[in-house]
Parts: sequence; structure tokens; C-alpha cells
Amino acid sequence: MSVFDGLRFRKVYSPIHNLDPRIKFVYVIAIFVVAILFYQIIPLLVLFFMQIPFVLLARVQRQWLRSLRGAAFLATFIFVVNVATTYFTSGYLLTAANVENAAAMTLRFVVLVESFSVFFLTTSPDHLGLALEESRVPYEFAFAFTTAVRFVPVLAEEAQTIMDAQKARGLELEKGGLLKRIRNYVPVLIPLIVSAIRRSLELAEAMESRAWGATKKRTNLYLLKLHKGDYALLAITVGILAVAVYVHFFVSIPTIASLL
Amino acid sequence: MAIIETKNLTYTYPGATKPSIVDVSIKVEKGEFVLITGPSGCGKTTLCRCFNGLVPHFYQGELKGEISVSGIDTLKHHTYEMAKHVGLVFQNPENQLFALSIEKDVAFGLENVGVSREEMRKKVDWALNQTGIYDIRERSPHEISGGQQQRVAIASVLAMEPEIIVLDEPTSFLDPLSAEKIFEVIYRLNKEQGITVILVEHRLDLTAKYTDHLIVMDEGKVRFEGDPRQILSSEETRLIGVGIPKATLLYQMLKKEGLNLGDKTPLSSEELADQLLEALSPQ
Repeated sequence: MSVFDGLRFRKVYSPIHNLDPRIKFVYVIAIFVVAILFYQIIPLLVLFFMQIPFVLLARVQRQWLRSLRGAAFLATFIFVVNVATTYFTSGYLLTAANVENAAAMTLRFVVLVESFSVFFLTTSPDHLGLALEESRVPYEFAFAFTTAVRFVPVLAEEAQTIMDAQKARGLELEKGGLLKRIRNYVPVLIPLIVSAIRRSLELAEAMESRAWGATKKRTNLYLLKLHKGDYALLAITVGILAVAVYVHFFVSIPTIASLL
Repeated sequence: MAIIETKNLTYTYPGATKPSIVDVSIKVEKGEFVLITGPSGCGKTTLCRCFNGLVPHFYQGELKGEISVSGIDTLKHHTYEMAKHVGLVFQNPENQLFALSIEKDVAFGLENVGVSREEMRKKVDWALNQTGIYDIRERSPHEISGGQQQRVAIASVLAMEPEIIVLDEPTSFLDPLSAEKIFEVIYRLNKEQGITVILVEHRLDLTAKYTDHLIVMDEGKVRFEGDPRQILSSEETRLIGVGIPKATLLYQMLKKEGLNLGDKTPLSSEELADQLLEALSPQ
């Protein structure tokens, strides 16, 4: 349809989507901590594969792969830099252990990207807004967040209309070098900004008319409640942390190079 | 006692050289269906903003004269206090919905006033049912049509259970069929719930039949107020630029040619059809 199609959020229902966003966030942080805890490749591989059931359950494989592909460039960069530094510092010697170490560092990064992408791919913006509200974030911020998400498709549509209108008047967006192309977008941006400001005024008016700021003690139509699934995820999170800490302190992890 | 009463209301927007409304004195009784019309820029929208205190609290500027809405002086009370009494529905449905689901939007006002969750649920469901959008309550605003969005906007002011609903050209973004549905919703709320309705509209073809109190504005002033049948048949009204219903125009043309269809000026095609049938049927 339009170039901004990727910006629209869609409502998807799956066991993972229905989980409480707060618990999911705690889970992501736990994975984050565990990934930092280890520098060996085997536990990091385990962490990496542990996310896959979540992705499959949430049926977001395609988007997930896309986000991994997005991280590929940085991952390659991390790998190359790691190999290169060990290569130069260890007297121009390329050992299997060094390469493995570099791979582990890269994998650590990939695990971080992976877990965050699972979180954002499976948490709807209204859930996130609600979680913000219930985490005692001032309501103004939570409101600003959900409203921003709400107006993304609206503004995207408007940008498309303005682009079409300007093209109809002879504006050539795809012409010239990089700088020229950026400059080409000025006649699109200015009307877009002007109309966004006008829109915000109308919004403010509508908010005022619906008792915005009437009381400090605001109530909420929805309430985030913890369900069975949430407790299960919480248990899994605690389990992962416990195992990770135990392994870190009491088990010596072999490298793949030494196993071969 | 009148539910809305203004006396010599004059208002100038900050920075404007001339006032947007001049000496407006109107009276609206409880339970009435009032239609306000007039050419663009005649001050209709400004007058609507006076009813819930957006003028002067939100827009600043200078307001002279007296205004009382539901017995409250809007000059002395904030817009959020007025929200419980007056619901304002705006022209562009898109810019009055801010939440990611429809029912959350309908609940917005109630959340702001701090109504308890159980009570809120009840009121929200009632408002959704009244406007016929209960089935789409979990969708997000950009997934539904303009007509549905406007019904959400109506539901969201309705949930506050106001005595008055003011609608400022609610159908100018909609196609005729969606517009008619909106008018039917409003009319039903007026008849069944006894809510006082103030409708600002250009499309008199579709709306004139609902009202018995018409206000015609021009250049910030109230030019005519009263019985729509009388006002719409006068030549002056047409010259101001009011869109006289086609049925009324045809009636007048026929009358000029000597075909008298009775004393009652028709406001809708249905009324005219009835009169024609009666005149043509052989007695």
C-alpha cells in the first residue's frame, strides 16, 4: 500500500502477546543480565535457542528474522573487530579459541537484540501504555506515548497525501544526489509539520472538552492482572537466573575448542 | 428555566481585529433539538466553544455579556467542570480520538473525572450500545470508517451523561449515508434520553425535519431564530447563503406558479411528497 506500512501496529492474539508486559520486561532484563554474565559460547548458545520457542508461540518468526537481519551488520562488525584485536595483540596468531571468543561476544549481542525484539514484537502499544500507567509513570507520559502510536498511521497517511499532491504539482522526489534528494523533501515536511501542529490544537481542544485534568486521582478502564501464564513466565525467569548464577560460580564451562 | 441562555454575548479571539460573535442572545429550553446554521465563518463554531467554556478559558481573548449553561456561569467555571454537563463533538472525527481502542476512548472522560472501574464499565457499555458500536469496541480508531469514528466521538461524550450535547458540523467529513445515520443516532438520543441537542449543520436537507428551533447566524450575529418553516421560506435566508432544503424550494416555486399545497411549508422530501399526493389525488 504505502511506504509507511511497516509503521502500523497490528493486533495479534497469542499466548505470548497476552502475557503481562511487566513480567515480559522482567524476563527480558533477566536474559540481558545472564547474557552479560557469561563470555563462553555454550551458555550463550543455550540462551539464543531458548528464545526460539517464544518466537514460535507468538508466531512472529518473520518479523523476528527481519530484526535479526537488521542486526547482522553490527554483529559482523563486532566479530571482525574482536578477531582482529586478538590477532594483533597475541602476536599475529589466529587460534581457534580466539575465534570462538569473538563468536561468543557476537552471540551475546545477538541474544540481546533477540530478546528485546521478542518483547517489542509481542507487546501491543496499548498494553505497553497500560504498563507504563500502572508502573507509576506520570499519566501525561503514558498518554503521550499511546497518542503518539495512535497518530503514526494518521500522519503516515497524511505524508502520503502531501507527497502525492506535491508530485502532482511537479515535485520530483527521486531526482539528484543525496543532498538534493533530502532537500526535495522540504516541500513535503513543511505542510506536514503545519498540519501536525493544527491537529495537536484540535486534540488539545477535544481533551479539554472531555475533562482532561479534572482530578489528580485518575481511574482506568483496564486493570493489568497477572494470570497463570504470567506466573509461569515469572517462575521460568527466576529459574533461569538461579541456574545461571549456579553455573557461573560452580561449574567450569568448557570451550568448544577444548572439546574437539 | 432555559438550559442555555446567553445575553449580548460578544467575543473576540486574541489578536483578532473584529469580534467573531456579536451580541448573541439566545435561549434554549431543556430537551430541545436546536439547529444552528449559517455560512462559513459566521461564528457558529465560536458559539459552540462558548457552551462548554473553551471560550474563553482555552482560547483566552475577551468575552463580554452573560452566559449560563445548565445553570452554570461558564465564565467562572473551567472546561473540565463543564464536561459533565455539556458534551462537545467536533468536526474532524480523527482528531478527537486519542486512545488505541474504541472503548478506551469512550472511557477517557470518565477516567479523567475518576469514576470507579465497575461504574465506568457500565456507562461505557451503555454509550457504546446507544451509538451502535458495541461490536467494534476493541478495534483501534484507524481501523474503522469515518462514520464509525464520529459515532465513537458521540459515545465518548455520551458516556459522561451530559444534559446537553453540542455537535459542530459532525458530518462534514462523511458521506450522505453515514451522515444520515449520525443524525438518526442524535435524534434518538434527543427523543429517548431527553438530551438537549445543539446541532451545527449545513445540510439542512437532512436535518431540518428534526428541529423546531432554528438559529441562522451571519457575520457573528443571530439573524433569525425560531420556527424553521417560517425562517426557511423567507427570501432573506436564502440570500445569506443558507442551504434551503430542496423540498422547501420546490414548494415555493410551485406556490409562485399558483399551485398551493397547503399552508405548511415542507422541510423534507417526505413531507412534500405527502402534500403533493394529497393535492393530486382526485377527491
